Amino acid sequence: MRLELRWSRVDELAAAATTRLAGARLDVDLEALRTLLASDSRLARVQLDLVHPGERCRIGRVFDVIAPRAKLDDHVTHDFPGVIGGVTKVGHGVTLALDGVAVVATDQQADPVAGSLSVIDMAGPNAALSAFGRTHNLVISAWPASGTGRSEYLAAVRLAALKAGVHLARTAREAAPDRVETFELPPSPRVPAEHAHLPRVAYVFQIHSHQRPTGVDEGILYGDPIRRMLPTIVHPNEILDGAVVRGFMGRSVTTWALQNQPVIRALYAQHGRTLWFAGVVVTVAQATEPERVRSAFLAAGLVAHTLGADGAVFTKIGGGAPHVDMAQAAAQCEALGVKTTLVVEDMSTDGSAEGMLLFNFPCMNALINVGCSQEALVLPAMDRVVGADGLAAQLQGEARTTYGGLCGAIEQVGATNVMAEVR
Amino acid sequence: MAGLRVVCFVNQFFGQLGGEEKAGVAPQLMDGAVGAARAVQQALGDAGTVVATIICGDNYAAEQPERATADMLALATSQRPDLVIAGPAFLAGRYGVACGALCAAVQSSLKIPAVTGMHQENPGVDLYRRQVYVVQTGSEASRMLDEVRKLVSLGLKLARGASIGAPAVEGYFARGVTRNVIATTSAAERATAMLLAKLAGRPFTSEVPLPDFQTVPAPRLLKTLEGATIALVTDGGLVPRGNPDAIEALNATRYGAYSIEGKTRLDAAQYDNPHRGYDTSYVKQDPHRLVPVDVARELEHSGAIGKLHEIVYSTVGVATTLAHSARMGREIAEKLRAAGVDAVILTST
Repeated sequence: MRLELRWSRVDELAAAATTRLAGARLDVDLEALRTLLASDSRLARVQLDLVHPGERCRIGRVFDVIAPRAKLDDHVTHDFPGVIGGVTKVGHGVTLALDGVAVVATDQQADPVAGSLSVIDMAGPNAALSAFGRTHNLVISAWPASGTGRSEYLAAVRLAALKAGVHLARTAREAAPDRVETFELPPSPRVPAEHAHLPRVAYVFQIHSHQRPTGVDEGILYGDPIRRMLPTIVHPNEILDGAVVRGFMGRSVTTWALQNQPVIRALYAQHGRTLWFAGVVVTVAQATEPERVRSAFLAAGLVAHTLGADGAVFTKIGGGAPHVDMAQAAAQCEALGVKTTLVVEDMSTDGSAEGMLLFNFPCMNALINVGCSQEALVLPAMDRVVGADGLAAQLQGEARTTYGGLCGAIEQVGATNVMAEVR
Repeated sequence: MAGLRVVCFVNQFFGQLGGEEKAGVAPQLMDGAVGAARAVQQALGDAGTVVATIICGDNYAAEQPERATADMLALATSQRPDLVIAGPAFLAGRYGVACGALCAAVQSSLKIPAVTGMHQENPGVDLYRRQVYVVQTGSEASRMLDEVRKLVSLGLKLARGASIGAPAVEGYFARGVTRNVIATTSAAERATAMLLAKLAGRPFTSEVPLPDFQTVPAPRLLKTLEGATIALVTDGGLVPRGNPDAIEALNATRYGAYSIEGKTRLDAAQYDNPHRGYDTSYVKQDPHRLVPVDVARELEHSGAIGKLHEIVYSTVGVATTLAHSARMGREIAEKLRAAGVDAVILTST
């Protein structure tokens, strides 16, 4: 399967009378886009703001961030299948991608408890900590229509953000791309003789945690809320091409990071050089012990017996239970002779090294961490707040938060360079 | 910063008072750099002056540690130091413990930095490395000046408020605290590289130290179940409606003791669950899914167990620190033992 990402660089994002990509300047007809997004009957009102790197601006109440992407042949293959459009397989063909611009969805119902709101700073020291402090951002604020439930509201907000991302990326249809990336992986058993000596490496990607069950409209894999999902193999290209979007409870994970899946990219970068990328198993962190045990050995079986992997990288999504769930699956892999590396979050709540882990498997001796989300962070005063009109007074001045409260500082799938170091 | 005032601490041997026969001497203050403290002055160069050296005998410090530390702290205070350097103590156990205690006291009382150094097997390392910077040294004083330079270098950084690097870089024992830093590559790239090293059998260093949890052997039940009192304990978060003990939804520091006297079942309407680490809806529907009072009462009535303890202990086990978990467990265990409970059914989530 072969996927081509045609990247167009955006250096400037501007409100204009028509939506188009003019060189590296993306013009957006905000009123036309607003009308398109506001057509959802679950939403009462939609507001759009443009913010730019270096601007002394804070985005408040961040819900999720989307990378603008659109299928070139969208009459055949749908964008974000199962969520925006019908269910069609993605991961092949050509996808238009904009570099340097992101769509930020806000949650106007987010509990405004001090320090718990997710924010993005466009200037100051925190801008450098998050990928979204360095992109031009289209910020969507939408308010629920009366009678819209919590889950319906979040589904509507996410849909609006995905639609906006597609809308923006379609401007690149006629553009000559600045660069083209291709992702091509043959069927996993077919290793050419000259690469047969390379270790076969799989990725076990936990895409949701059932600590909180998904709503019926909370599509995650091809639009499915994966309530009863067992470990399954998908092609890595499908994930890079919008088959997986984030659920509604996104602790230190954005859809943007899933569209730019860092582990898949890292394994592709080494594929055919130092390793053979054997494939991806997607899993769900289970809520009960029998489900967890079943899921662990099924995942390990796919990695060891079906993909025939020598090693596997694991990541998790969610809090403590997914952390243990991941370790149980990895332990099953090690028992089958598959070497593992786990990407964990520093789980300590008191900054102590002894609290970093929630499991104790001696074979889990190769652990990478994405940092401690509880560590304090200062939010310096800004000139303007967007995405959180009612909380501007609270969010504009200097405030305290944590790494977990700065969207994009810590990505559980390993997209960022933040790490907790034992001192 | 030529004016940096440094106070040193050495034992009777390194203070050149004598060997074991002088190990009982009480803390005393000498002007300037004495004995091993002369190496500190040499390493400091123009950066500071050793204004005084405190000497204390090893036995004196070991036999009355609190008094020795208080006396030495008072002597140090009198010199208005900017930095205290204790030792290095190498593998000398009594000396290492005294160094650690003095540094901890100086830091907390005088709010100035203090540095010590010792060999990894010195008991002072495990006792004090969480509180103070303990520089890793050899077991013997054969390379005194080189070892002292490491202490002084770290001490100067601390005194100047400079940022301190990782333990491996600066040469101190990890203090067991974590701090977010920016790595040169992403976590995903590091994971791939580490896996390749593990597959190839090359050395690699885990970014999370493997846990060293204390294991508690399960005690044997000395009676038959028919004669035993059984208690129900949970960290699944069941609380009476209104959460009277205000047990936290995560990172809990409190637990509750709830009577089930006279109850053959738990009425769902009377209970709630603040736990934020799992889907609590099923437990809220039927609390017995977490705390099986119904079945336990049946076993009590049928005589399968001697007695069901009338108090259920409950807390929220999510993102709880190890320190609080251990404390709450100890407190609950003491109460259960005092009440004559023989065994516990511990339900988790």
